[in-house]
Amino acid sequence: MTDVWITDMAVVTGLGDSLATTWQGLMQGRSAIGPVTRFSTDRYTTHVAACVNGLEPESPDGSRLWPLLDQTLAGLGPVPSDALLLTATTKGPIDILENLRRGRPADTQALPMASWLARISRRLGLTTGGINISAACASSTIAVAQGAAAIGAGRAGAAVICCMDLVSEFVFSGFSALQALSPAACRPFDRDRAGLSLGEGAAALVLMPAERARREGQRHLGSVLGWGMANDAAHITAPARDGCGLIQACRQALARAGLEAPMVAAIGAHGTGTVYNDLMELTAFRAVFDGRIPPLHSIKGALGHSLGAAGGIEVAVGLKALAERTAPPTVGLCQPVDGAEGLIQAAPVTIAGDCLLRSNSGFGGINAVLILGRGADW
Amino acid sequence: MRALINGIGWVTAAGLGRGRQRLGFSRPAGPLPKLSRRMLFAEPDQRFGRLDEYSRLGLAAITMTLRDAGMAEDGQKRPVGVIAATTHGCLTTDLAYLDTMIPHNGAMASPNLFAYTLPNCFLGEAAIRFGFTGPGFIIQEPDPAGYTCLSLAMAVLGDGDAQTMLAGVCDLSQTIPATVEPQPPAAAVFFALGLVPGPAGPPYGVLQFDSTGSLSFMGQRVTGIFDLVQACLHPAGHGSPVRRATVDLNLSTPESG
Repeated sequence: MTDVWITDMAVVTGLGDSLATTWQGLMQGRSAIGPVTRFSTDRYTTHVAACVNGLEPESPDGSRLWPLLDQTLAGLGPVPSDALLLTATTKGPIDILENLRRGRPADTQALPMASWLARISRRLGLTTGGINISAACASSTIAVAQGAAAIGAGRAGAAVICCMDLVSEFVFSGFSALQALSPAACRPFDRDRAGLSLGEGAAALVLMPAERARREGQRHLGSVLGWGMANDAAHITAPARDGCGLIQACRQALARAGLEAPMVAAIGAHGTGTVYNDLMELTAFRAVFDGRIPPLHSIKGALGHSLGAAGGIEVAVGLKALAERTAPPTVGLCQPVDGAEGLIQAAPVTIAGDCLLRSNSGFGGINAVLILGRGADW
Repeated sequence: MRALINGIGWVTAAGLGRGRQRLGFSRPAGPLPKLSRRMLFAEPDQRFGRLDEYSRLGLAAITMTLRDAGMAEDGQKRPVGVIAATTHGCLTTDLAYLDTMIPHNGAMASPNLFAYTLPNCFLGEAAIRFGFTGPGFIIQEPDPAGYTCLSLAMAVLGDGDAQTMLAGVCDLSQTIPATVEPQPPAAAVFFALGLVPGPAGPPYGVLQFDSTGSLSFMGQRVTGIFDLVQACLHPAGHGSPVRRATVDLNLSTPESG
């Protein structure tokens, strides 16, 4: 199959407006999770999230989404005009719908995701219309997989993946109602974890066949070696406790990459900090790696859970980690959950290899996994 | 890329239907039928009662499609996936959720409604009920033809990631005026695609994408997903009753397109 390279990427997170600043914050063990000021949290179970500094709606009737995207896309170099556009989000411009229901000015033309595809396509000078992918917290991981699949099969000459989600009262109140939010900043894989913290952010990734990238002098920031997707078929809002869907997705991804499990040097886990997600992941990874789980980390204690954007941001961070041969600390970790001692650290960890496994799982029982390869041109 | 169409099911304003019922397909204007558990399942089902309107629509169309394909038995996990296209997704549910959130500053926000404010949730419901373990996601796209879901599903089949893929569209009536013109029809239609004939017998025919991205069914160009339903049910285009494919269905032969 065609070797698929990632040749350019940009991220905006609560820790900064670039991958460099985000990485620096991660390595310093900082967390962007702090008090929410854009809406009242008085009636909710927590008052914190990881918001992007200074992010305001583009107009009184508009969304915060475009300023977030615009800032992100500004971090990309030129994108091939023939690139397939794939966006990923769970709720897109949900702040516009909130405004509408509150009787405030609301640009309803911007509600359908098709309008965002057209806008991004124009912004990047693309000739194609694009597709938005919605699969809960696995949205962007699936978008990357679909981009790589299209390139690998010769159905696209390049792809640009744009992943995005906001901290909105809609989503905040919903997770609060589900009792899923941590009272304080989340603590993935910690014994005392008590739920997730929301975050916002965006990522843009450019994928290209290796041959074209070499021909055009593009950088090799990493490779998408394999991917897998599977459903638990168990529950809508909770993971299958036996990790069946994640196990299947991991095995599919490894098989597609042509790798044996021991060749994976590190895992970038979904690691939300909820009791059941983190246990499910450990159960699944034990099965996939036959008990010998490579070092794993979660960055959600630093960046919060940015839902549909999380996978894209985590791909960028994962490739940086491979390039630096260092996994970032799992911020918020004090005492690892039983069985994870030694696997997860609150400090940076050396990566002794060239492949990283990334996973996300979401509502609806979906699981998605990517196998990333180390790039040569950092 | 080629695949066999092994089943078709739908919900439109005319009611619930499936291809092998031979009752024809129509998409009249008007409200969709109010979907109840009894219309779909003989046994009581607590889950169905909790579903939002959008999930009921999607699950109903998927159920009809599986019945048409002879694959509606419950329980066993199996490598089946679903890709659904939508314009507005669960917008109606989003609005209903906001109506629980706003009045009391969030104190009365409904966790049950929130759980269905993701458009892919009905895919999870279908996965639970029918044991689907394959890929599942929702797409939104500007192309009104709406058949990108079919090409993506065929690619999944071609990659060997599922034995059957369901692909189709699912949209409720628009509740906010003039956000998109023209408005998508309130309807849900799904196709069961496979590389071998399904248990219901001979497939409807061969679906094929050529190298330019054009979709054809049994060699005839198809311009949209609803046209494809008609093409499956009336292959000659003359209102003839359902006729099973008589062409070579061996998908291992090289593609001509």
